[in-house]
Amino acid sequence: MTALRPSPVDALRSSTAKGTDTRKPTRWSRHRELWLGLIGLLSVFVLWQLAVAVGVVDANFTSSPLGALGSLFDSIRSGEVWPPVGATLASVGIGMAITLVVGIPLGLIIGRTPVLYGLTEQMISIMYAVPFVVFLPIIIFWFGIGGEARIVIVVWSALFPLLINVVAGGRNLDPDYLRVSQVFCASRPRTLWSVALPATLPYILAGVRQAVGRALVGAIVAELFMGTDGLGYVVQVETSNFEMDAAMAAIGVIAVVAVVLTRGVAYLERRLTFWSVND
Amino acid sequence: MNDGYKLVVDDLQLGYRSKRSGAYNAACRGLNLEIRNNEFVAIVGPSGCGKTTFLSAVAGLQPISGGRMDLSGRPIDGPGLDRSLVFQHASLFPWRTVLGNVEFALQAQRKLDATGRRRARDLLELVGLGGKEDLYPKELSGGMMQRVNLARALVTDPELLLLDEPFAALDAQTREVMQEELMRVWQADEVNEGKTALFITHDVPEAVFLADRVIVFSRGPAHVVESIDVDLPRPRRPELKRSREALAYTDYILDLVMRQATGREPGNDTGKERADDSAAAVTG
Repeated sequence: MTALRPSPVDALRSSTAKGTDTRKPTRWSRHRELWLGLIGLLSVFVLWQLAVAVGVVDANFTSSPLGALGSLFDSIRSGEVWPPVGATLASVGIGMAITLVVGIPLGLIIGRTPVLYGLTEQMISIMYAVPFVVFLPIIIFWFGIGGEARIVIVVWSALFPLLINVVAGGRNLDPDYLRVSQVFCASRPRTLWSVALPATLPYILAGVRQAVGRALVGAIVAELFMGTDGLGYVVQVETSNFEMDAAMAAIGVIAVVAVVLTRGVAYLERRLTFWSVND
Repeated sequence: MNDGYKLVVDDLQLGYRSKRSGAYNAACRGLNLEIRNNEFVAIVGPSGCGKTTFLSAVAGLQPISGGRMDLSGRPIDGPGLDRSLVFQHASLFPWRTVLGNVEFALQAQRKLDATGRRRARDLLELVGLGGKEDLYPKELSGGMMQRVNLARALVTDPELLLLDEPFAALDAQTREVMQEELMRVWQADEVNEGKTALFITHDVPEAVFLADRVIVFSRGPAHVVESIDVDLPRPRRPELKRSREALAYTDYILDLVMRQATGREPGNDTGKERADDSAAAVTG
């Protein structure tokens, strides 16, 4: 734009600039993965619908995307969709609350007490590794099939992933932080609240993210086997009644709940541990 | 008996037992020194000589194996409100802001009131971080972190300020700047009032520039080789570092430290004893 003649270097630079992408990121390039994911999902639904349309599969058995969608809209219009969602969320919510109240202090204490850690480490790993559903019959035997039993299963499934993470956080607590606390004569409760807790927050939230996922699995499994309401129960009942569209619609709702819950915790993680250096 | 002395160290033994082998590693053996009130003392010595262990013991973080160590006439047992430590690595809490980190020291000592808050802000201003109170540690440079570290130590108004090689991890230029900053802060009226400082470093010019007195430690297990009064006028200006007098002190002390580091010592028998000690430390 000035009177200067463009030098060969300038020409070279502008040609390479044209070659590489110097344009502003478009809506496509910024959300490329999201778009690709949606296209993938949509392709499966289209193939599924086509398979039903040409008679490769029987919609009475497999339902169809459009049928499930129709059933979902019906249940939203009639309001039938909400009570099961509420019931499932209540199980997850109460179960998670108990898990957090028990798991975070317990994990910190175990992580900071070498003897306790030695005593419990193997046990916690085993409990984490064993699929919790094997305890289902025993829990039913102990607690019956009422609401309490469902909460027990949610806690049982969510507690161990949280515990493992919080214990690891407690063990990896930077000794430098504790020295600061010591030098300034902080009391034990002050150290726990103002140093140990925030320092392990990244571990705690990673544990919560895993725990929420497992809690939802626990709640759904409990509803499948012994529920009287909840999304798992809806899937179970509708399948028994050969209402495949309604069953698929309920599964769709479960998927949405699962995504919202895990994304919600991920958002919380970003908000609360923004200060973390290794993110 | 401690009139005029802030810290009296008498035949101090420090050490720790190796967790793996159970062997005892001595960090200090027969250490004797006194630090007067309002003195700024620097301790230099070859690396690994136990000077940091000694400072930890003064801070109350390290148990004493033998001998005595009295602070203001009372034996040290554990950390106290009368001491602050400027850590080698800033060790700021990443989840707290700059101001929050400084205020933590007051909070820990239950002194965080309106006066304390004002003092925290004033000190941040003094160390050159005015306007940066709300930043988080990950947004700070190494030099800025050490300024916060210093402000945090000063905010509790300690009688004895302990500094553990606070500039060792900084690049050369930042280190120069921080030495001058520390000098400026130390000479500021509101800070200097009734304070004694114990500064650990392996940087001899730094020690000469900052201190009223430089104590040279032997190589480990440490004892005092020599104590040199640095008779340079205060307030000290940055130019002083390049002055002939400062350089003369530096040369003299550096020679003492190097002799410790390389084991060249006048007197054969002591040299042999040292060698035995270090051999024991290696096998232990």
